[in-house]
Amino acid sequence: MLEVKDVVKAFKSGDHTIKPVNGVTFSVGQGTFAAILGKSGSGKSTLLSLLGALDKATSGDVLVDEVNISKLPDAKLTAYRRDDIGFVFQQYNLIPNLSAKENVMLPMEFAGVSRAERSVRAAELLNQVELTEDMHDRKANRLSGGQQQRVSIARALANRPKLILADEPTGNLDDETGELIIELLRSLSHEKNTTILVVTHDQALTGKTDRKFRLARGKITEITAS
Amino acid sequence: MSVLARSVGNAFRNKVRSGAVVVILAVAIGLALSMLVANQAVADRITSLKASVGNNLTVNPAGSRGGQGGGEPLTTADVSTAQSVAHVGSVNGALTLRLSSSGTAAASATAQGGGQSGGPGGRAADGTTSLVSAVDPGTLGNRASGSTASNSSATATSGASGGTGAGNTAARAGFSIPIEATGINGSVNAAGAAINIISGAALSDFAGTSAQALVGSTLAAKNSLTVGSTFTVNDRTMTVAGIFDAGTAFDNNAIYLPLVAAQTLTGQTGEISTMSVVVDSIDNVDATKTALASALDSTRVDVTAGSANLDSAIGSLGSVQNISLIGFIAALGTAGLIVLLIMIMVVRERRREIGALKAIGASNRSIGVQFVIEALVLVVMGSVAGAVIASFSSNSIVGALVSSNTSTTTAAGSGRRAALGAAGQAAGQAVGGGTRFQGSGRGAFAGASQLIGTVSTSVGWQTLVLGVVGILVIAALGALIPALLTAKIRPIEVLRGE
Repeated sequence: MLEVKDVVKAFKSGDHTIKPVNGVTFSVGQGTFAAILGKSGSGKSTLLSLLGALDKATSGDVLVDEVNISKLPDAKLTAYRRDDIGFVFQQYNLIPNLSAKENVMLPMEFAGVSRAERSVRAAELLNQVELTEDMHDRKANRLSGGQQQRVSIARALANRPKLILADEPTGNLDDETGELIIELLRSLSHEKNTTILVVTHDQALTGKTDRKFRLARGKITEITAS
Repeated sequence: MSVLARSVGNAFRNKVRSGAVVVILAVAIGLALSMLVANQAVADRITSLKASVGNNLTVNPAGSRGGQGGGEPLTTADVSTAQSVAHVGSVNGALTLRLSSSGTAAASATAQGGGQSGGPGGRAADGTTSLVSAVDPGTLGNRASGSTASNSSATATSGASGGTGAGNTAARAGFSIPIEATGINGSVNAAGAAINIISGAALSDFAGTSAQALVGSTLAAKNSLTVGSTFTVNDRTMTVAGIFDAGTAFDNNAIYLPLVAAQTLTGQTGEISTMSVVVDSIDNVDATKTALASALDSTRVDVTAGSANLDSAIGSLGSVQNISLIGFIAALGTAGLIVLLIMIMVVRERRREIGALKAIGASNRSIGVQFVIEALVLVVMGSVAGAVIASFSSNSIVGALVSSNTSTTTAAGSGRRAALGAAGQAAGQAVGGGTRFQGSGRGAFAGASQLIGTVSTSVGWQTLVLGVVGILVIAALGALIPALLTAKIRPIEVLRGE
């Protein structure tokens, strides 16, 4: 369960104060596949960074399973990111000189999982995201965009997180591959009961999600089917 | 994949850049290690130089040295006075004599109209011996002898005797190099160094009636002497107790006699010509030198510290030591700076990757460790290559540093010495003397160079410890600051530009 209560993020820019996120409130139940839509500069990525504990809100609360991550100290935020959150980025952000499997093993290494166990799980996850076995040991920078995004999703699932945050996951992919990735995220959300929140400006993607929100001028509104 | 394996892999992510960094580091570390090895080698050489001659003082009558010059002789009372001076370990008095060969003395006496033959420099012989000099006078000996003859004639012009009128290069008939005899009181020579006896035994009877003598190897060969053979000094028959080798043809054309016997034989009872004083510590040499001059009356004695070349040699080596220490620190600092700048560049370049690692749960510590290991990999590779470079270059670097520094000193010194020589020559000519100072400067500084000799390098434990400590400083400098920078990178960096 993700609850966001009156979250504000303000930046100083010269004499002005900018608020890309200004009093955002919403909640999403466990296992929901949701999307936040918005134009470029609407504050989507800023909101995502607050939900993923990459940055701290100026005010307001973000609760994940009733734990207020806005109040957590830095050390606990690291543990929160490691154990409870999975990230999928538009640019994939894989470590280029590591293989696909090693990239997936990385979060498990930080969590202290044994080498043998993380190797088995990484292989399972890569199979789950439909990356063929011959690709498992290939360096990340030798994989195609779609393959890299699959590895990125497998990495996000590594420590069995409660919440996966995806920032424009199809932004660098062609339509067909984008469709496949969206379908993969949707099925994972339902099969693993994982909350997946996708930030995008891709209207086509939002058709596949359970709930949709629109962020404009720092305010969020839910788009309901009419 | 472990942090170590990942860090090693990351260090070579950009092979060209990492290779270039390792090469530059190798040169800097190699230079630093070479300088360190040079510093240690020169320090060892200074220590050995000081240990060998550094705590010796020589006392001569003021205005006299090695039988040359004038002034009043030292006495055995002076030896007792010197022994009572603070920090004096031991005092060794010696009497230097010149003995002319019996046959030559007779010939010269006829030619000059009386008196004993003078040696080079005009000094009269202290006595006669049956020994024949092993050194042929040659051009140098005859020139010195001829000069003396000229002076004698100039002095004698007002007297009854007509001089020989020989010029500077004219040879006197029957002239031979005098034999130097040194009266000693133990088993060391006038300079306090042990006598190298190659046959027989050292002197053991030091009474005034003693008939023991040590003979130089070339002199013994020239006169067909072996241990037990006899020869005469004035009217006493001496027995060869041992044959020594002093290393040079000049020094081997000499004999050693018991001090009291030498004094008795030449009528110089209680007199000595030089004292060799050993100071208890190198640190007390300067203070003891002053105290000795004061105790013995500085107007009647000259006190000199060890070898005349020692200060020059130690000064030169001290400069090399300073240069090498500065070079070591500068090269090490350069290596540290290279690692630091490269790692700062790497951290800046990989801000987003660091952000991604933090986003997926990496702690500041684990990221810091990864970058420290990356820097260490570069430093270790640079150090290994640098050590290879140092092993090949340290000897030549030490040689170049020592020779350039010695030649600089020599050039300056030669200039000063040449001026002194010219002044001395002018003064000598003004009083009618012919003693030449030419070349003395060159000789003195060549002596310093010879004293330094070859400084050879070797890697001892001190060098290794200092080298490892230095490299650790590089690694610390190069890795810790970038590692701290990684801690400041916020995980949100991963979203920059997206």
